[in-house]
Amino acid sequence: MSKLKLHLPVILAGLVVGIASVVLVALGNPVNMGFCIACFLRDIAGGVGMHRAPIVQYIRPEIIGLILGAMIMALAGKEFKVRGGSSPMTRFVLGFCVMVGALMFLGCPLRMVIRLGGGDGNAILGLIGFIIGIFVGTLFLKAGFSLKKSQPQPAVEGLLMPAVNVGLLILVCAAPAFIFFSTEGPGSMRAPIAAALIAGLVVGAIAQRSRLCMAGGIRDAMMLKDFHLLMGFVAIFVAVLVGNLIVGSMGLKGGFNPGFAGQAVAHTDGLWNLLGMVLVGLGSVLLGGCPLRQLILSGSGNSDSSVAVLGMVVGAAFCHNFGLASSTDGPSFAGKVAVIIGLVLVCAIGAGNTKKA
Amino acid sequence: MSSPSPSKEQIATFHTHFGALSFHKRLRALGDQAVMMPVPRKLSASCGTCVKFFLPFDPAWADEDLDSVYAVQGQDFQLLFQNEEA
Repeated sequence: MSKLKLHLPVILAGLVVGIASVVLVALGNPVNMGFCIACFLRDIAGGVGMHRAPIVQYIRPEIIGLILGAMIMALAGKEFKVRGGSSPMTRFVLGFCVMVGALMFLGCPLRMVIRLGGGDGNAILGLIGFIIGIFVGTLFLKAGFSLKKSQPQPAVEGLLMPAVNVGLLILVCAAPAFIFFSTEGPGSMRAPIAAALIAGLVVGAIAQRSRLCMAGGIRDAMMLKDFHLLMGFVAIFVAVLVGNLIVGSMGLKGGFNPGFAGQAVAHTDGLWNLLGMVLVGLGSVLLGGCPLRQLILSGSGNSDSSVAVLGMVVGAAFCHNFGLASSTDGPSFAGKVAVIIGLVLVCAIGAGNTKKA
Repeated sequence: MSSPSPSKEQIATFHTHFGALSFHKRLRALGDQAVMMPVPRKLSASCGTCVKFFLPFDPAWADEDLDSVYAVQGQDFQLLFQNEEA
């Protein structure tokens, strides 16, 4: 009973994330993309004109909600601790590389689980790659990898990321002429701003409380034989699967469509789906958490995570400015080269920051 | 060494995973049955790693990666030591 009580918050968090994801799709988000941290950061990069891919430009309120929800919950729990200064440039590059891998696969680890729950078989290859990447990451951790400890920082350092997101919220609501809004493609598919923001706020708050992390669950299971966080991961899958079966039976947008070909915002190149997520898994372990977790920490006063998020945003802009991101037709040659360079770079960062314990 | 009693159970939290790894190794070398585990939610919002150990804590073990040390009292934790930061 006490064990159930211990695990209940993370299981409930996973269920809420899964349900919110299905609801956001029914309300207008792209199929199997109720939430995707990588895709949504990429959309925001396009929304503010950092890249000009016309089909993926929109300031996603979900991201804003996640950060502000985490901040509100951290403040309420007296857990808003402003820290930073732990290898910021390294974290920026790791965030950049994680985005390169995610846009090869076309999704962050959270979307990978959501795609699995929608029946997208290509995400199975992504999951295998993600597990391999995390395994390699744990080898670096066991060998003594460290980005060095963070230091306490002035409050303004921790408040800037939430403040930036308040600014983004004003921009998406006011919709001035210099902001980009996709009129076709995934960027044009969006739930109403209020619904997206509320979903983000709720998920951000519960993810802060429960410490939900896609990479952390598998890492802890591998390294510490602890399955607590993994339960949240499984709960998301179950909620999305059941939710999709329900909305499918109701004839709403979404549903469970098993198979590999013709999946929404996905391609069928198994090798590169796998390798992209190897890069995401490895980079996430070295960063100390998946892209969702980085967002939550950035809302909780951790400016190291904010730097990692900025690395992801710039990485997304690069991916679309230089043709590195995959499309539904498959990966590009440039994208494959970028993933290989990313894997080499992240391994070099791992080796270069390892010392004997 | 006699088997530790539950009342001696302590948890050390760290700023880095490396800190936990080093502390765990040091305690093991001293003959302690130290184990690495996720930080209990009550102690931190971080999803990092802590070390559960049984030898009486010696402040001389504290390096810059050590955050705090707590005595485990059933479901609760009593702060025994908090490392100073610059």
